[in-house]
This record gives sequence, structure tokens and C-alpha cells, in this order.
Amino acid sequence: MTQPSTILSDVAQGEASVLMFLLAGRQFAVDLNRVQHILDYQAPTRTPRRPRFVEGIMQHNGRFLPVVSLRKRLGVEEPPPLHPAILLLSGIARDSVVGVMVDQVLRVVSLPLEKVLAPPPRILGIRAEFIRGVANVGGRPLVWLDEVQLMTSDEPISLLG
Amino acid sequence: MERLTPTKQRTRARAEGPAVREKFLLFRVGDELYGMGLQGLREVLLPDGLTALPTPAYQVCAAVTYRGRRLPVIRMRALFEGSPADIPVTARVLLTQGQGRAIGLLVDEVLEMTEVEPTRIAPLPGLATLLDPMCFRGLYTRRDRVILLVNEDGLTRLDEVVQFYATGDGSGQSP
Repeated sequence: MTQPSTILSDVAQGEASVLMFLLAGRQFAVDLNRVQHILDYQAPTRTPRRPRFVEGIMQHNGRFLPVVSLRKRLGVEEPPPLHPAILLLSGIARDSVVGVMVDQVLRVVSLPLEKVLAPPPRILGIRAEFIRGVANVGGRPLVWLDEVQLMTSDEPISLLG
Repeated sequence: MERLTPTKQRTRARAEGPAVREKFLLFRVGDELYGMGLQGLREVLLPDGLTALPTPAYQVCAAVTYRGRRLPVIRMRALFEGSPADIPVTARVLLTQGQGRAIGLLVDEVLEMTEVEPTRIAPLPGLATLLDPMCFRGLYTRRDRVILLVNEDGLTRLDEVVQFYATGDGSGQSP
């Protein structure tokens, strides 16, 4: 598999820092530069006629943020664990900060660029458009998501088990 | 930082005046709390006289006759949750107006009146709803609960309300 240089064009100095987390037993990651905070779960206020994958809104430091369930966005039917985490990601869609619910935060890891591969057309049921790259971390695949594409597209996704 | 003498402080306070507060009527729809400005509110009615409109043209609106006029009533549970629901005994119809048009809002329960400083009202996040953002003034927190404020002007622009007024009586036929 070749690695198009455009995929990682915004990553400097030969490696990329990502935040790893678990979702439905799989390892995923988002760009660490977008992560503003990691919060314990707090039940969001339900908003009327919200998008299917939006849980509602929450308040943080005097600001109101939409809260997205990444499980629902990836088409996972099973309910989340009792204590999911909420990542506050910046620079997504129309909202300056968006809360994203994930099952469990794992760690921050620096990925050497040469270890990050361009995704195949579809991996785990997710089209390549929604993925920035794939790597092997700890002997298991890590899917580095394109959080902007995920949140701004209405395309349904069904995560494969 | 500028240091003000007591006299200057009193002068400045008089010039700035008290913070302007806006009055809202709080109500419940489902499990969530909402507010509506009191400025346009005309009356709060029991939902006894509510009549259905021909479906599928009207999924959200019903009608009520008020002082000889037939007015559209937005069933807020249907608008917000997308499904018809029983009308609880606590339900009320809030008669208000926006854009010069009278409308009713069928809510599950009327709670209380409150005052809010406009500076405390924040815009609704973009991802929060698929409804027209014009339907909401914004939101604020009260006793740790987030309260969404509806905008009567935006609600009168809903397709069904526009259609109701275009057809005169909600029959789906032009007058």
C-alpha cells in the first residue's frame, strides 16, 4: 500500500500526535491538535429534532456545545458503557467546539509517518473518506478518523464488528 | 485600572441604569424545559377546543377557535419529537403572535414566569437541531438546567402555519 503525501500534509516533523480511544472494542484516534479537553460523562440536555447521532447539548466553561455520540455516528446499535468520556474537539462544522462521546480514552501516541498507511477503500465498514490513516499500535489496528468529514457528512456508516 | 470615587461610582451606575431583563414563560414539552417571551403572549387556554386538521397535510398543527377566529396550534411534542402524543391533563395552549400572525403552542405543562438578562442568552449550537434555527431565540441555564427559548417569529414561518394562513382554514384548499 502506498502512502499519498497529501493525507498527512498537515503533520510536521515526521510524526503525528493522536489521541487514542476505544469504541465498540476497536482502537480509534483523532488529531490531538483538535482535542481541547477530556471530560467525564455528563448527561446532555436533549434538543428537539436533533440529528440522529447528536445526543444534545452541554455547558462547559460558560459555553453551550453540541454533544455527538460517535457510536451512533458509526452506526453502532449497542448502548455505550456506563461511563463514557467526552472529548471536546475544536474546529469542526459550524460550532467552534463539539463534544464527542467515546467509550474509553486510552492514551496519546506519536505516530511515525512511515508507520501510518493510507486507508483501503473501506475498513471496518468505514469509507476511506472518513479516515486519515491506519496504523498498527500494540499489535492491533488503529483507525485514525477524519473528525471533520465525519461530523459534516450525513452519509450513514455501519461499523463492522 | 481606573479607580472610581464613590460619587463617580454612583454617577456611572445611574448612567448605565439597571440591567434590562426580559420576561419569559417557562413550559415543559416532554422532559425538557422551554421558554417563550411574554411580549407576544395573549392568553393561556385549556386544550378543550382543539380540533384536528386534515392529514397528511398537517403533521404538526391542529386548530382552535378563539374569539370567532380559527387559529393554527403547533403541537410542540409533534414538532420537537416527531411523533404524536397524548395530551396530558396539564397541557395548555399558549396563544401568542409573531410576524403579525396569531398562533397557539400546545405544551405539556405551563410552569412559571421568569426574568432573564439578554446577555445570558446564548445562541443554539449549529449541530443541536435539524429544525430551522429561527425557531429558537437561544438558550440559557437556570438552576443548572438548560432552557431553550423559542422564537414566535420563527415558529410562524413553519410550512404548516404558512399553509394554514394561505388556505384560510387549514382545509388544504385555497379560499
